[in-house]
Amino acid sequence: MAHIPDGVLSAPVFVVGGLAAVAALTFSLRALDDRQIPRVAILSASFFAISLVSIPIGPTSIHLLLGGLMGLILGPAIFPAIFAALLLQAMMFGFGGLTTLGINTVNIALPAALLGLAFRPAVARASVSTAAVLATICSVLCVVATGLLVALSLLFSSPDYAVSAKAMIVTYVPLMIIEGLITGSCITFLKKVKPELLSPHAAGE
Amino acid sequence: MKTRAMTAVLFLLCVCMTQPALAHRLRLYAHVEDGVIAGFAFFVGGGRARDAEIFFRDASGRNLHVGRTDHEGAFVFTPPQPQDVVIIVNSGDGHAAETSLPLERFAARATPQAPPESEPVVQGEAGAPLLIDTGSALRPADLALIERKVEAAVARQIGPLLEAYALAEGRVRFNDVMGGIGMITGLAGIALWASSRRRRDGGQS
Repeated sequence: MAHIPDGVLSAPVFVVGGLAAVAALTFSLRALDDRQIPRVAILSASFFAISLVSIPIGPTSIHLLLGGLMGLILGPAIFPAIFAALLLQAMMFGFGGLTTLGINTVNIALPAALLGLAFRPAVARASVSTAAVLATICSVLCVVATGLLVALSLLFSSPDYAVSAKAMIVTYVPLMIIEGLITGSCITFLKKVKPELLSPHAAGE
Repeated sequence: MKTRAMTAVLFLLCVCMTQPALAHRLRLYAHVEDGVIAGFAFFVGGGRARDAEIFFRDASGRNLHVGRTDHEGAFVFTPPQPQDVVIIVNSGDGHAAETSLPLERFAARATPQAPPESEPVVQGEAGAPLLIDTGSALRPADLALIERKVEAAVARQIGPLLEAYALAEGRVRFNDVMGGIGMITGLAGIALWASSRRRRDGGQS
Protein backbone atom coordinates (compact mmCIF):
# COMPACT_ATOMS: atom_id res chain seq x y z
CA MET A 1 0.00 0.00 0.00
CA ALA A 2 2.37 2.63 1.18
CA HIS A 3 5.31 1.08 -0.62
CA ILE A 4 4.92 2.55 -4.10
CA PRO A 5 7.46 0.85 -6.37
CA ASP A 6 9.74 2.46 -8.96
CA GLY A 7 8.27 3.20 -12.35
CA VAL A 8 4.73 3.80 -11.16
CA LEU A 9 4.86 7.48 -10.27
CA SER A 10 5.51 10.27 -12.75
CA ALA A 11 8.69 12.30 -12.31
CA PRO A 12 7.09 15.50 -10.92
CA VAL A 13 5.34 13.50 -8.21
CA PHE A 14 8.37 11.65 -6.92
CA VAL A 15 10.64 14.68 -7.28
CA VAL A 16 8.29 16.78 -5.17
CA GLY A 17 8.03 13.90 -2.69
CA GLY A 18 11.81 13.57 -2.59
CA LEU A 19 12.34 17.29 -1.96
CA ALA A 20 9.69 17.29 0.77
CA ALA A 21 11.37 14.29 2.39
CA VAL A 22 14.81 15.95 2.29
CA ALA A 23 13.39 19.11 3.88
CA ALA A 24 11.56 17.15 6.57
CA LEU A 25 14.58 14.94 7.28
CA THR A 26 16.89 17.94 7.59
CA PHE A 27 14.53 19.69 9.95
CA SER A 28 13.93 16.54 11.94
CA LEU A 29 17.61 15.61 12.29
CA ARG A 30 18.54 19.14 13.38
CA ALA A 31 15.89 19.05 16.08
CA LEU A 32 16.76 15.51 17.15
CA ASP A 33 17.86 15.24 20.75
CA ASP A 34 20.62 12.72 21.52
CA ARG A 35 18.44 11.00 24.09
CA GLN A 36 15.87 10.31 21.38
CA ILE A 37 18.25 8.34 19.15
CA PRO A 38 17.74 4.89 20.78
CA ARG A 39 13.99 5.44 20.72
CA VAL A 40 14.06 6.36 17.04
CA ALA A 41 16.15 3.27 16.29
CA ILE A 42 13.92 0.89 18.25
CA LEU A 43 10.77 2.14 16.54
CA SER A 44 12.50 2.19 13.16
CA ALA A 45 13.48 -1.46 13.61
CA SER A 46 9.94 -2.32 14.71
CA PHE A 47 8.46 -0.62 11.67
CA PHE A 48 11.01 -2.30 9.41
CA ALA A 49 10.19 -5.78 10.67
CA ILE A 50 6.44 -5.43 11.19
CA SER A 51 5.63 -3.81 7.87
CA LEU A 52 7.30 -6.72 6.06
CA VAL A 53 4.65 -9.11 7.33
CA SER A 54 1.66 -9.22 5.02
CA ILE A 55 -1.63 -10.63 6.16
CA PRO A 56 -3.98 -11.81 3.40
CA ILE A 57 -7.40 -10.28 4.00
CA GLY A 58 -10.14 -10.58 1.42
CA PRO A 59 -8.92 -9.90 -2.10
CA THR A 60 -5.80 -8.13 -0.97
CA SER A 61 -3.06 -8.29 1.60
CA ILE A 62 -2.29 -5.73 4.28
CA HIS A 63 0.59 -4.89 6.54
CA LEU A 64 0.85 -2.68 9.59
CA LEU A 65 2.29 0.83 9.37
CA LEU A 66 2.43 1.81 13.07
CA GLY A 67 2.20 5.50 12.10
CA GLY A 68 0.06 6.49 15.06
CA LEU A 69 2.24 4.80 17.65
CA MET A 70 5.46 6.17 16.17
CA GLY A 71 4.01 9.66 15.78
CA LEU A 72 2.86 9.74 19.40
CA ILE A 73 6.22 8.62 20.77
CA LEU A 74 8.57 10.31 18.32
CA GLY A 75 6.76 13.34 16.92
CA PRO A 76 8.79 14.85 14.06
CA ALA A 77 11.67 12.46 14.83
CA ILE A 78 9.62 9.83 12.99
CA PHE A 79 11.15 10.98 9.67
CA PRO A 80 14.61 9.43 10.06
CA ALA A 81 13.02 6.30 11.55
CA ILE A 82 10.72 5.74 8.58
CA PHE A 83 13.35 6.80 6.06
CA ALA A 84 15.99 4.35 7.32
CA ALA A 85 13.51 1.46 7.46
CA LEU A 86 12.10 2.18 3.99
CA LEU A 87 15.60 2.50 2.54
CA LEU A 88 16.54 -0.91 3.91
CA GLN A 89 13.27 -2.46 2.72
CA ALA A 90 13.85 -1.09 -0.77
CA MET A 91 17.46 -2.28 -0.82
CA MET A 92 16.99 -5.70 0.71
CA PHE A 93 13.57 -6.72 -0.52
CA GLY A 94 12.72 -4.34 -3.33
CA PHE A 95 9.65 -3.16 -1.43
CA GLY A 96 8.99 0.34 -2.52
CA GLY A 97 11.73 1.83 -4.63
CA LEU A 98 14.67 4.19 -4.55
CA THR A 99 13.05 6.90 -6.69
CA THR A 100 9.91 6.70 -4.59
CA LEU A 101 11.76 6.58 -1.27
CA GLY A 102 11.08 10.25 -0.59
CA ILE A 103 7.39 10.24 -1.35
CA ASN A 104 6.84 6.97 0.52
CA THR A 105 8.59 8.46 3.55
CA VAL A 106 6.41 11.57 3.38
CA ASN A 107 3.20 9.58 2.85
CA ILE A 108 3.78 7.56 6.02
CA ALA A 109 5.69 9.96 8.25
CA LEU A 110 4.10 13.34 7.59
CA PRO A 111 0.58 12.52 8.85
CA ALA A 112 2.08 10.57 11.75
CA ALA A 113 4.38 13.45 12.76
CA LEU A 114 1.61 16.07 12.62
CA LEU A 115 -1.06 13.94 14.28
CA GLY A 116 1.45 12.73 16.86
CA LEU A 117 2.33 16.32 17.73
CA ALA A 118 -1.34 17.25 17.94
CA PHE A 119 -2.39 14.30 20.10
CA ARG A 120 0.66 13.88 22.31
CA PRO A 121 -0.08 16.58 24.93
CA ALA A 122 -3.61 15.27 25.45
CA VAL A 123 -2.45 11.64 25.57
CA ALA A 124 0.26 12.57 28.09
CA ARG A 125 -2.19 14.32 30.40
CA ALA A 126 -5.14 11.95 30.08
CA SER A 127 -5.93 8.93 32.23
CA VAL A 128 -4.91 5.50 30.96
CA SER A 129 -8.26 4.65 29.40
CA THR A 130 -8.78 8.07 27.79
CA ALA A 131 -5.23 7.96 26.47
CA ALA A 132 -5.93 4.59 24.87
CA VAL A 133 -9.00 5.98 23.11
CA LEU A 134 -7.10 9.07 21.94
CA ALA A 135 -4.23 6.93 20.67
CA THR A 136 -6.66 4.71 18.79
CA ILE A 137 -8.25 7.73 17.12
CA CYS A 138 -4.82 9.13 16.28
CA SER A 139 -3.69 5.91 14.63
CA VAL A 140 -6.93 5.55 12.65
CA LEU A 141 -6.53 9.10 11.36
CA CYS A 142 -2.91 8.32 10.43
CA VAL A 143 -4.02 5.34 8.35
CA VAL A 144 -6.70 7.43 6.61
CA ALA A 145 -4.25 10.24 5.87
CA THR A 146 -1.60 7.87 4.55
CA GLY A 147 -4.20 6.14 2.38
CA LEU A 148 -5.30 9.47 0.97
CA LEU A 149 -1.73 10.59 0.27
CA VAL A 150 -0.96 7.30 -1.50
CA ALA A 151 -4.13 7.64 -3.56
CA LEU A 152 -3.24 11.23 -4.47
CA SER A 153 0.33 10.27 -5.42
CA LEU A 154 -1.03 7.64 -7.80
CA LEU A 155 -3.82 9.87 -9.09
CA PHE A 156 -1.37 12.60 -10.10
CA SER A 157 0.88 10.11 -11.88
CA SER A 158 -0.83 7.77 -14.27
CA PRO A 159 -4.34 6.52 -14.98
CA ASP A 160 -2.88 3.01 -15.31
CA TYR A 161 -2.35 2.76 -11.61
CA ALA A 162 -5.47 4.57 -10.59
CA VAL A 163 -6.82 3.35 -7.30
CA SER A 164 -10.36 2.18 -6.98
CA ALA A 165 -12.38 3.42 -4.04
CA LYS A 166 -13.62 -0.10 -3.36
CA ALA A 167 -10.13 -1.58 -3.20
CA MET A 168 -8.97 1.24 -0.94
CA ILE A 169 -11.86 0.68 1.47
CA VAL A 170 -11.35 -3.08 1.47
CA THR A 171 -7.67 -2.59 2.24
CA TYR A 172 -7.68 0.31 4.64
CA VAL A 173 -10.72 -0.39 6.82
CA PRO A 174 -9.28 -3.64 8.27
CA LEU A 175 -5.94 -1.87 8.63
CA MET A 176 -7.59 0.98 10.55
CA ILE A 177 -9.21 -1.46 12.96
CA ILE A 178 -6.04 -3.50 13.56
CA GLU A 179 -3.78 -0.44 13.84
CA GLY A 180 -6.24 1.20 16.20
CA LEU A 181 -6.35 -1.83 18.49
CA ILE A 182 -2.58 -2.29 18.50
CA THR A 183 -1.81 1.38 19.10
CA GLY A 184 -4.49 1.57 21.81
CA SER A 185 -3.07 -1.40 23.69
CA CYS A 186 0.55 -0.25 23.27
CA ILE A 187 -0.29 3.19 24.66
CA THR A 188 -2.24 1.63 27.56
CA PHE A 189 0.81 -0.43 28.40
CA LEU A 190 3.22 2.51 28.06
CA LYS A 191 1.01 4.80 30.15
CA LYS A 192 1.12 2.24 32.96
CA VAL A 193 4.77 1.25 32.71
CA LYS A 194 6.63 4.23 31.30
CA PRO A 195 4.37 7.29 31.09
CA GLU A 196 7.31 9.68 30.66
CA LEU A 197 7.80 8.23 27.17
CA LEU A 198 4.77 10.23 26.07
CA SER A 199 5.45 13.47 27.86
CA PRO A 200 6.86 16.14 25.57
CA HIS A 201 9.71 16.95 27.99
CA ALA A 202 11.20 13.50 27.84
CA ALA A 203 11.08 13.72 24.08
CA GLY A 204 13.56 16.56 24.26
CA GLU A 205 11.37 19.47 23.30
CA MET B 1 27.94 16.63 11.87
CA LYS B 2 25.41 14.03 12.86
CA THR B 3 23.53 14.65 9.67
CA ARG B 4 26.74 14.36 7.71
CA ALA B 5 27.70 11.10 9.39
CA MET B 6 24.27 9.67 8.70
CA THR B 7 24.42 10.79 5.08
CA ALA B 8 27.85 9.23 4.66
CA VAL B 9 26.66 5.92 6.07
CA LEU B 10 23.56 5.90 3.92
CA PHE B 11 25.64 6.73 0.87
CA LEU B 12 28.03 3.87 1.63
CA LEU B 13 25.03 1.61 2.00
CA CYS B 14 23.79 2.63 -1.43
CA VAL B 15 27.19 1.98 -2.98
CA CYS B 16 27.61 -1.40 -1.33
CA MET B 17 24.23 -2.64 -2.46
CA THR B 18 24.15 -1.78 -6.12
CA GLN B 19 21.95 -4.74 -6.94
CA PRO B 20 18.57 -4.02 -5.45
CA ALA B 21 16.27 -7.00 -5.38
CA LEU B 22 13.62 -7.04 -8.05
CA ALA B 23 10.83 -7.97 -5.72
CA HIS B 24 7.72 -5.91 -5.24
CA ARG B 25 5.16 -6.40 -2.58
CA LEU B 26 2.79 -7.48 -5.32
CA ARG B 27 4.37 -9.89 -7.78
CA LEU B 28 3.42 -11.51 -11.03
CA TYR B 29 4.20 -14.98 -12.24
CA ALA B 30 3.48 -15.83 -15.87
CA HIS B 31 4.52 -18.57 -18.24
CA VAL B 32 3.73 -19.50 -21.81
CA GLU B 33 2.48 -22.88 -22.85
CA ASP B 34 1.64 -23.50 -26.47
CA GLY B 35 1.10 -19.81 -27.13
CA VAL B 36 -1.18 -19.33 -24.13
CA ILE B 37 -0.07 -17.00 -21.32
CA ALA B 38 -1.08 -18.22 -17.87
CA GLY B 39 -0.04 -17.20 -14.40
CA PHE B 40 -1.10 -15.52 -11.20
CA ALA B 41 -0.51 -12.39 -9.10
CA PHE B 42 0.51 -12.82 -5.48
CA PHE B 43 1.53 -10.75 -2.51
CA VAL B 44 4.92 -11.29 -0.95
CA GLY B 45 4.26 -12.69 2.49
CA GLY B 46 1.04 -14.41 1.57
CA GLY B 47 -2.18 -14.18 -0.37
CA ARG B 48 -3.20 -13.87 -4.01
CA ALA B 49 -4.38 -10.66 -5.66
CA ARG B 50 -8.00 -11.49 -6.37
CA ASP B 51 -10.14 -9.52 -8.80
CA ALA B 52 -7.25 -7.22 -9.70
CA GLU B 53 -7.16 -5.35 -12.97
CA ILE B 54 -4.73 -6.87 -15.45
CA PHE B 55 -3.36 -5.41 -18.70
CA PHE B 56 -1.65 -7.27 -21.52
CA ARG B 57 0.29 -4.93 -23.77
CA ASP B 58 2.50 -5.22 -26.81
CA ALA B 59 5.98 -3.73 -27.01
CA SER B 60 4.62 -0.33 -28.08
CA GLY B 61 2.41 -0.11 -25.01
CA ARG B 62 -0.87 -0.77 -26.82
CA ASN B 63 -3.41 -2.78 -24.82
CA LEU B 64 -3.97 -6.23 -26.30
CA HIS B 65 -6.38 -7.21 -23.60
CA VAL B 66 -7.67 -5.86 -20.29
CA GLY B 67 -9.18 -8.20 -17.75
CA ARG B 68 -9.33 -9.14 -14.10
CA THR B 69 -7.73 -11.93 -12.11
CA ASP B 70 -10.01 -14.65 -10.78
CA HIS B 71 -10.59 -15.60 -7.14
CA GLU B 72 -7.24 -17.40 -7.10
CA GLY B 73 -5.40 -14.42 -8.54
CA ALA B 74 -4.92 -16.38 -11.78
CA PHE B 75 -5.21 -15.19 -15.37
CA VAL B 76 -5.09 -16.71 -18.86
CA PHE B 77 -4.69 -14.90 -22.14
CA THR B 78 -3.89 -15.97 -25.69
CA PRO B 79 -2.20 -13.21 -27.69
CA PRO B 80 -3.39 -12.98 -31.31
CA GLN B 81 0.11 -13.78 -32.54
CA PRO B 82 3.46 -14.52 -30.88
CA GLN B 83 5.01 -11.21 -29.78
CA ASP B 84 6.58 -9.40 -26.86
CA VAL B 85 3.93 -9.11 -24.17
CA VAL B 86 4.07 -6.88 -21.11
CA ILE B 87 1.74 -7.83 -18.28
CA ILE B 88 0.75 -5.25 -15.68
CA VAL B 89 -1.43 -6.01 -12.69
CA ASN B 90 -3.00 -3.33 -10.51
CA SER B 91 -4.83 -4.31 -7.35
CA GLY B 92 -6.40 -0.85 -7.13
CA ASP B 93 -5.08 -0.04 -3.66
CA GLY B 94 -1.70 1.26 -4.75
CA HIS B 95 -0.09 -2.10 -5.41
CA ALA B 96 1.06 -2.78 -8.94
CA ALA B 97 3.45 -5.19 -10.58
CA GLU B 98 4.79 -5.69 -14.06
CA THR B 99 6.48 -8.49 -15.95
CA SER B 100 7.32 -9.08 -19.57
CA LEU B 101 7.37 -12.17 -21.74
CA PRO B 102 9.77 -11.78 -24.67
CA LEU B 103 9.02 -13.18 -28.11
CA GLU B 104 11.42 -16.08 -27.51
CA ARG B 105 9.04 -17.55 -24.96
CA PHE B 106 6.59 -18.15 -27.79
CA ALA B 107 9.35 -19.84 -29.82
CA ALA B 108 7.51 -22.84 -31.18
CA ARG B 109 4.82 -20.81 -32.80
CA ALA B 110 7.01 -17.89 -33.64
CA THR B 111 9.73 -19.47 -35.75
CA PRO B 112 8.62 -22.03 -38.28
CA GLN B 113 11.91 -23.69 -39.17
CA ALA B 114 13.27 -23.70 -42.68
CA PRO B 115 13.53 -27.22 -44.05
CA PRO B 116 16.94 -28.67 -43.22
CA GLU B 117 19.20 -29.06 -46.22
CA SER B 118 21.23 -31.92 -44.83
CA GLU B 119 20.29 -35.54 -44.51
CA PRO B 120 17.75 -35.90 -41.69
CA VAL B 121 19.58 -38.85 -40.21
CA VAL B 122 20.20 -38.75 -36.47
CA GLN B 123 23.28 -40.47 -35.12
CA GLY B 124 22.70 -43.08 -32.44
CA GLU B 125 24.94 -43.63 -29.41
CA ALA B 126 27.39 -45.94 -31.13
CA GLY B 127 27.51 -43.78 -34.20
CA ALA B 128 25.03 -46.00 -35.97
CA PRO B 129 22.25 -44.18 -37.75
CA LEU B 130 18.94 -44.37 -35.93
CA LEU B 131 16.18 -46.11 -37.75
CA ILE B 132 14.58 -43.32 -39.64
CA ASP B 133 12.98 -43.96 -42.92
CA THR B 134 15.20 -41.68 -44.98
CA GLY B 135 13.16 -42.53 -48.01
CA SER B 136 10.51 -40.13 -46.77
CA ALA B 137 12.61 -37.35 -45.25
CA LEU B 138 10.95 -35.32 -42.51
CA ARG B 139 8.87 -32.60 -44.00
CA PRO B 140 9.10 -29.06 -42.59
CA ALA B 141 5.56 -29.41 -41.31
CA ASP B 142 6.55 -32.53 -39.34
CA LEU B 143 9.60 -30.81 -37.95
CA ALA B 144 7.54 -27.83 -36.90
CA LEU B 145 5.06 -30.18 -35.23
CA ILE B 146 7.81 -32.02 -33.37
CA GLU B 147 9.34 -28.77 -32.28
CA ARG B 148 6.02 -27.50 -31.03
CA LYS B 149 5.39 -30.73 -29.12
CA VAL B 150 8.84 -30.55 -27.53
CA GLU B 151 8.34 -26.91 -26.62
CA ALA B 152 5.00 -27.74 -25.05
CA ALA B 153 6.41 -30.68 -23.11
CA VAL B 154 9.35 -28.63 -21.82
CA ALA B 155 7.05 -25.76 -20.86
CA ARG B 156 4.82 -28.20 -19.00
CA GLN B 157 7.78 -29.73 -17.18
CA ILE B 158 9.51 -26.53 -16.13
CA GLY B 159 6.25 -24.70 -15.32
CA PRO B 160 6.16 -25.88 -11.69
CA LEU B 161 9.85 -25.05 -11.33
CA LEU B 162 9.39 -21.49 -12.56
CA GLU B 163 6.40 -21.12 -10.28
CA ALA B 164 8.32 -22.39 -7.26
CA TYR B 165 11.18 -20.08 -8.14
CA ALA B 166 8.88 -17.06 -8.40
CA LEU B 167 7.34 -17.87 -5.02
CA ALA B 168 10.76 -18.46 -3.43
CA GLU B 169 12.01 -15.13 -4.80
CA GLY B 170 9.00 -13.36 -3.37
CA ARG B 171 9.63 -14.40 0.19
CA VAL B 172 10.85 -12.42 3.16
CA ARG B 173 13.73 -14.28 4.73
CA PHE B 174 14.26 -14.21 8.46
CA ASN B 175 18.01 -13.67 8.05
CA ASP B 176 17.40 -10.58 5.94
CA VAL B 177 15.01 -9.15 8.52
CA MET B 178 17.55 -9.71 11.27
CA GLY B 179 20.21 -8.11 9.05
CA GLY B 180 18.02 -5.04 8.58
CA ILE B 181 17.39 -4.70 12.31
CA GLY B 182 21.13 -5.01 12.91
CA MET B 183 21.75 -2.30 10.33
CA ILE B 184 19.33 0.08 12.08
CA THR B 185 20.97 -0.66 15.43
CA GLY B 186 24.34 0.12 13.85
CA LEU B 187 23.05 3.41 12.43
CA ALA B 188 21.81 4.40 15.88
CA GLY B 189 25.18 3.48 17.35
CA ILE B 190 26.97 5.65 14.81
CA ALA B 191 24.61 8.55 15.47
CA LEU B 192 25.18 8.25 19.23
CA TRP B 193 28.94 8.03 18.76
CA ALA B 194 28.92 11.08 16.50
CA SER B 195 26.81 13.10 18.88
CA SER B 196 28.90 12.16 21.93
CA ARG B 197 32.09 13.05 20.10
CA ARG B 198 30.64 16.36 19.05
CA ARG B 199 29.62 17.09 22.61
CA ARG B 200 33.09 16.19 23.91
CA ASP B 201 34.79 18.33 21.28
CA GLY B 202 32.38 21.16 22.03
CA GLY B 203 33.15 20.84 25.76
CA GLN B 204 36.92 21.09 25.25
CA SER B 205 36.95 24.13 23.03
